[in-house]
Amino acid sequence: MTGRSQYRVVIVGAGIVGLYTAWHLAEAGVTDVLVVDRGFLSGGASGRNGGGVRQQWETPATVRLARESVGAYRRFGVDFGYNVWFRQGGYLFLAETPAELDRLRAVVRIVNAEGLPARVLTPSEVLRHAPALDVTGIAGGTFLGSDGTLYPFPAVWGLFEALRARGVEVTTGTPVTGFRIEAGRVRGVVTASGTVAAEAVVNAAGGWSRDVSRLAGLETPNVASRHEILATEPLKPFLDPMVVRTSDGLYFSQTMRGEIVGGLSLPHPTGTGSGMPSSIRFLGTMARALTGLLPALASVGVLRAWSGFYDETPDGLPILGEDPRLGGFYHANGLGGHGFMLAPATSRRVAEAVLGQRTDLDPALFGPGRFLEPGRARQAERLTLG
Amino acid sequence: MAATGSSPPRWRGRPLAGPEGASLVARLARAGLPELQRSLRYHRPRAPFCGIGQCTNCLVGVNGRPNVRGCRYVPLAGDRITSANSWPSPSWDLLGVLDLLFPRGLDTLHGFTWPRFAAPLYHRVIRRLAGYDRLPEGGAATGPAGPPAPAVADPVETDVLVIGAGDAGTAAAAACAGRGLETLLVDRGPPAEAPGPARLARTTVVFLPPPEGEPSRFSALVHEEAGPARLVRARRVVVATGGYDGPLLFGNGDRPGVVTAEGALALGLADADPWFRRAVVFGGGPRVLPLLDRFGTHVEAVVAPGAVSPAVVERASALDVPIYPRTLLLEALGRRRVRGLRLAPRGGGPTFDLEADALLLAHRRLPQPQLFYQAGARMRWHATLGAYVPDLEAGGATSVPGLYAAGTAAGLLEPAASAASGEAVADAISGSGVARPAPPALPESTGELEGYYVELLRRPRGRAKRLLCPCEDVLLTEVEEAVANGYRGVEVVKRRTGVGTGLCQGRYCLPDLLLVLAHLEGRPPAEVGYITQRPPVLPTPLGALARLPTATGSEEEGA
Repeated sequence: MTGRSQYRVVIVGAGIVGLYTAWHLAEAGVTDVLVVDRGFLSGGASGRNGGGVRQQWETPATVRLARESVGAYRRFGVDFGYNVWFRQGGYLFLAETPAELDRLRAVVRIVNAEGLPARVLTPSEVLRHAPALDVTGIAGGTFLGSDGTLYPFPAVWGLFEALRARGVEVTTGTPVTGFRIEAGRVRGVVTASGTVAAEAVVNAAGGWSRDVSRLAGLETPNVASRHEILATEPLKPFLDPMVVRTSDGLYFSQTMRGEIVGGLSLPHPTGTGSGMPSSIRFLGTMARALTGLLPALASVGVLRAWSGFYDETPDGLPILGEDPRLGGFYHANGLGGHGFMLAPATSRRVAEAVLGQRTDLDPALFGPGRFLEPGRARQAERLTLG
Repeated sequence: MAATGSSPPRWRGRPLAGPEGASLVARLARAGLPELQRSLRYHRPRAPFCGIGQCTNCLVGVNGRPNVRGCRYVPLAGDRITSANSWPSPSWDLLGVLDLLFPRGLDTLHGFTWPRFAAPLYHRVIRRLAGYDRLPEGGAATGPAGPPAPAVADPVETDVLVIGAGDAGTAAAAACAGRGLETLLVDRGPPAEAPGPARLARTTVVFLPPPEGEPSRFSALVHEEAGPARLVRARRVVVATGGYDGPLLFGNGDRPGVVTAEGALALGLADADPWFRRAVVFGGGPRVLPLLDRFGTHVEAVVAPGAVSPAVVERASALDVPIYPRTLLLEALGRRRVRGLRLAPRGGGPTFDLEADALLLAHRRLPQPQLFYQAGARMRWHATLGAYVPDLEAGGATSVPGLYAAGTAAGLLEPAASAASGEAVADAISGSGVARPAPPALPESTGELEGYYVELLRRPRGRAKRLLCPCEDVLLTEVEEAVANGYRGVEVVKRRTGVGTGLCQGRYCLPDLLLVLAHLEGRPPAEVGYITQRPPVLPTPLGALARLPTATGSEEEGA
């Protein structure tokens, strides 16, 4: 149920991306905004992720966005009154082969060029950052100490309450079922509880964003890819950084509560149709990977497992900005498994675009139109795991 | 079993007294109620509570293996058993001061954000407070308690998998086997002494995804204690996982001395005096009777949330035990353990105190619903039990083809009805004879417990902490604050407060939370819903899961 029948902006999706977009609009003085979500707050990937925030990327533009997000999360408690427990324990990437290590070296050069002190590590230096690891078979790694982990839920609560205080409406349990389109422009949003008029619509639906775009007659190349994750029983702190192994996408960190939380990449059927179940296959594969790299965990119990959707694009980069095929329809999606870590920065730019302001985003990298020009060589972000 | 005569097991460095073959907790309880650890946030003293390996109150380290449940662990010669999360000891813990320093609770949602430069310091301190035990040293834990050498465990194939060897499960398994169906019975307990169908003992089904394939087949993930995890493939599954004695919300409800009925029965040794002198039994139904039989002269009073059954009145009168029907339990008295109880008559009236050094909770028997949720069965609210139970057709069939329920897990409390329900399931599975009608369900009242919680929550509060989720030390006030701030629904409240995310997997908070939310949100508990039951049903060691076959052949998904 929504309070009014028309809004300047309707944002589809009340995850971290949608909420931050609404926040940046409110900061610019636009509070005539509705954020609408099919589920409940933190029910999607914003409540299902591992909490990692890193600045080590292959594309310089992504490094800059991530660096801005790190700043936002460092300030989050002061800005929003909620503690996201952003702990900068670093990100430790591990390579198993010389080729993988070369690729990570290239990442470090890019990150260094952006002014961040990432370093290439020998196996013995890896051990200094994470003494519990078994580094047999590890060729080396990289480390950036200002990367870190946070507790995702309070970020959602903080934004939700800040928006409410500014008079922005956030409505959950209300699926979007269609759009009103007139003369090549989006004019309104049809929801399960009625139609509201809108001058602009932002698709921030995460794993469901391709489904939402289709409701507007737009095909986008992103796919919902289910990823599983688990948490162990809590232990006293022994691991500071987030650890990522590039070969199989294994990642894990120790949360503020002491649990080891992590996952790895398994192929699953894509699309949102099959829901978000856990699988026995994941439990076995993850347990083997985790106890192989951190043998002391063998006697530690898995407490729970769950899954969520990555909203993946072919080039590993988000889709940000107005769709050239439909005026007033803005994308804030395709963030892969990294919506939480990039949202503060990407959402600001989407908000600027909605307000008709100039953004510093390169449309060739992030624009929705880039997929409409096939065959053009573009940069891509391949460091998408972890 | 290690040879006797070698060094005895040691608890916190001292040789452990008591008979071999008894659990750590039972051995320690001979010298009084043992305190084995402190709670996560406020370092409140905690002593054994559930007695059946579900709650978080008796976690110890065994030879470096963390978070072992002391109520189920039988110490072996040479064991080195340690306590966690307390210094210098669980009984005298310096960090217990946190409980006094934060009488209204520690606000980790909003607090510790200022000044910004102090964040790394806050992170270090709070991280040290969190967690129970330490990472095991030197790779996989070794010694008697450590997992044996890695080997991949092959899947087990069967026609019928029966989960739980209580009255219902045993009857179902025997009847299925008797009809020529290949049957496997899996149970958490020790091996059966009597002959019967094939059986996996000391084994827990930790994950039961919905069936897959054509014809459809279940793949259950089972974990054998101190052994590997493995798959059991079955065409039909009978869930007869029974029930457990439920929690109760009241001030200082986590004090040492508060135990469930089955905790009280499991804690003591049959040949020894109990660890209490005067216990109050809370409840008015059949669960009270075994407690009166076992602890007779040590029972100070029977206090019931509602009416008291004639059988209880008769037995209590014979023992000269006073009865307080329709009474609210407001608070446990005593700084370190239960010294008394503060009560009030329902419907209004002044509070009064009873002296007691133990409280035995026997008011609420709850079915274990996890596997039904995981497998995707349709559930319904059972007002008398105050719990969700599977929605059943004749013969105990759930809404998931091939999945059946029997006994307490199906919402039946009478032992006779339990066994009959197991046989009815076997009839339905084997298709022999006419499917019997479903056994008569309990007459469902309008939910006595709902009314109890409404009265409890409306009464003025004392200063005692009311822990809605004892695993994570989540206070009732945190849930009330969440609802007052517009966070609605059990899933959101879970994510906001952490309620239900502890090691008991929600068994000792969700039953209370449902009734509390029904009151706070102003809707019937049938509409509050349940938290997604994520695998595993009980914490399962990574080392055991690592021994699953690499290719399991199918997705095997659920929950």
